[in-house]
Amino acid sequence: MDRRKFLKVAAGGAAGAGVATTGFLLTTAGEKPASVVARREVPTTCEMCVNKCSMIAVVEDGVIKKLNPNPENPKSRGMLCARGNAGIQQVYDPSRLKRPLIRVGARGEGKWRPASWEEAFDFAAQKLAAVKEKYGPQGSLWSSTESFQESFFKSLGLAFGSPNVERHPTLCLASVNLAYSLTYGTMPSFDLQNAKYIIISGANRLESFITPDTMDLIQSATDRKARLIYLDPRFTVTAAKADEWYPIKPGTDLAFILAMLRVIVEEDRFDKEFVSTYCVGFEQLAEHVKPFTPEWAAFETEIPAKEIVRIAREFSDAAPRAVYYAGRRSSWYRDDFSMRRAQAILNAIVGSWDRQGGMVPNGKVELGELLFLPWDDPVAPRADEMDKNFPLAAKGDGAYLTLRENVLAGTPYPVKAWMVHKQDPMNMLPDQAKTIRMIEQMDFIGVIDIQMSDTAWYADVIFPESTFLERQDPVEILPGIWPVVVMRQPVIPPLHDTKPTLEIVQGLAKRLNLSQYFDYTIEQWVHEQVKDLPVNLPLEHLKQHGVYVPPGFPKYGTTLKPEHRFVTKSGKIELFSERLKEAGYDPLPVYQSPQQPPAGKLRLILGRRAYITQANSTNNPWLSSFQPENDLWLHPTVAENMGIQDGDKVEVSSSVGTVRLKSRVTQEIRPDCVFMLHGYGKRSKWQRLVYGVGAADAQILETAWDKVSGGAAFHETFVKVRKV
Amino acid sequence: MNKKRTLKDTIKLLAVTIILALSVTVAWSKPKGNETKGRFYFKQTCKSCHAKGASGGEITPMSKTQAQWERYFTAGKHNKGTELLSKHLKAEQLNDAWVYLVNHAVDSPQPETCGK
Repeated sequence: MDRRKFLKVAAGGAAGAGVATTGFLLTTAGEKPASVVARREVPTTCEMCVNKCSMIAVVEDGVIKKLNPNPENPKSRGMLCARGNAGIQQVYDPSRLKRPLIRVGARGEGKWRPASWEEAFDFAAQKLAAVKEKYGPQGSLWSSTESFQESFFKSLGLAFGSPNVERHPTLCLASVNLAYSLTYGTMPSFDLQNAKYIIISGANRLESFITPDTMDLIQSATDRKARLIYLDPRFTVTAAKADEWYPIKPGTDLAFILAMLRVIVEEDRFDKEFVSTYCVGFEQLAEHVKPFTPEWAAFETEIPAKEIVRIAREFSDAAPRAVYYAGRRSSWYRDDFSMRRAQAILNAIVGSWDRQGGMVPNGKVELGELLFLPWDDPVAPRADEMDKNFPLAAKGDGAYLTLRENVLAGTPYPVKAWMVHKQDPMNMLPDQAKTIRMIEQMDFIGVIDIQMSDTAWYADVIFPESTFLERQDPVEILPGIWPVVVMRQPVIPPLHDTKPTLEIVQGLAKRLNLSQYFDYTIEQWVHEQVKDLPVNLPLEHLKQHGVYVPPGFPKYGTTLKPEHRFVTKSGKIELFSERLKEAGYDPLPVYQSPQQPPAGKLRLILGRRAYITQANSTNNPWLSSFQPENDLWLHPTVAENMGIQDGDKVEVSSSVGTVRLKSRVTQEIRPDCVFMLHGYGKRSKWQRLVYGVGAADAQILETAWDKVSGGAAFHETFVKVRKV
Repeated sequence: MNKKRTLKDTIKLLAVTIILALSVTVAWSKPKGNETKGRFYFKQTCKSCHAKGASGGEITPMSKTQAQWERYFTAGKHNKGTELLSKHLKAEQLNDAWVYLVNHAVDSPQPETCGK
């Protein structure tokens, strides 16, 4: 290497703002240097899932070689999962979106032409303005999924005047969030590191999704510090690691919890002091649970009564280090909210609140904010009619399934433009044919994404976003037992003609005469966020470490003062909820025996594996190698009756669609269920590894939702299976 | 062929138009204040003295119940009743802050800390 080149490489390394620059010679002593490699280690934050673990990117000669865990972030537990490691492939995947595209064929035909950013912005702004002119600003829909730049996108929709900012929780965890919020005034964390007794209904945390809770559960299971009771129609990895697994009859978890409540109340096993000091509605609860005997629950759940009694006793004995774990995705059944409410109530009456090994209210860190005079609130009501349909649900998140029904019906008004930010409704919503009908009735669809998702495949214009390793994001607080502030900074410059969301939003805002709401740089935004963090040179600290960890956590007992006011209507933990009653709902969880599949049909249940979890990872080359396609699990007795052998191709039909995929004949599932992984069988040909490979659950799932939260009920579909 | 409109048709059309107009007016009537702007005025003006550790002591929307915020703004007094709120915010701005704080009070369905 000549001197000029060496200096260029060294300068390139040093130019990486705020990163640990460690350019050095990759040689051993005495060996003649073959080349000089500029090596940098850049702390940043993962975006491969919602967990946002800290990572350190190793960059050599401008190429990301490896992503390592960042041990400074306690929330990451010193790990980076397979998905995190595969983040590199987002950057170097040849099929990623590399420049703006405008559709030239029919929607879904996959014909595109490259466009300049100016042209793409002009095109989209013109279409949005036309819809606004004809239908009003409420005629536009702005849907997005959690990411560090999501707020810029949502702000554009609101500044445009649309009330229809639609987020993903009703397709995921809306019911669990609402149930705990209405009980405790907040969604707490679960101190699994210190719990002694853990009950889990279906949350397959050791297999489906890697989070700090996963790491804590693994530690608990390995060290046998905690007893793990697991209820699931499938024998999952979590079941394999549990002390006890019960293949519960699907949809009956609430009956199990109500019977536990009855045992604990009847046998005087609840924490009297805690209940009398911090809770309201115990008398109504005690009366309410009287009919729910263990024998009754045994009939409903197919879990023996004596086991229910024993588990209830053990659970209350272990309290407050005992938790009924909430899990994450809670979009299963029509009674999801009630089931999660019952869990929250059970945890409360044994006093597993704000104590080591119980549930802990999330610690927080305060960030600053770049203030500017915002837009007027939208005048029109939301198209999903949240106020009427789900008056207690989180208004800022919306309700996706009623939204789709209303858009198709044209009520309360026409919605004709759809801007989508890093979300794939084609695979996230049930009944894909219905989603396609929603797409077809749109005058305009614009998508911001890093890959050609199935939804992007149907768009009119596509704005390619820079990947998380190529851009600066706002800093984020990760609340929890160990709250932290994390920084995502560019590891390398963008490889292609892509932009971060803020710049895409600014490009559109300029043409929509909304620039006054986006007149700042990302650097100014971040500066305002971090300037008052109680650490020396906060911005430099975050750039250097990737994370700010405030001292003094974990904290237990901050709410355990008689004068503490919980953020609920009564100011107490609400076992009985007046707010639910006022809204016309059951103030205590009411059980309805679930409908069973008719003869010849089976219940379809869904799940994830941690290599992929979300549908946007199935096309990642490294992750695909672990899980190239999905298959249909079915029990041997069912398979035998249908003449199906392991590996046979089968056809799975519901009232809304039919798919074909391979069978997997296994005893690890109940005979009344079939199971498949989410996120395969893509329609987008740019998803080359999963295009037409396996099957999309979205094509056969029927539309159903929980009536309180509006959360999708993904496990309410009965299917026919036959060999093909 | 154009059908001749009868008086009955005209009355029917008029009735439908009036009902539609009324329903739109009722459903989409402008709210009392602008919540988004209210959050801004609260953060810009009130938080200058009421941030954590600041001279006025920390105040967030969750510092009061909905009824308490309603009473506070109805009284229109600040600094323990010694001065008018209108000294700090114009009437329209006060309305915006009022809506924001009531909607995110500690006993509201959508509580919010420090306007974040």
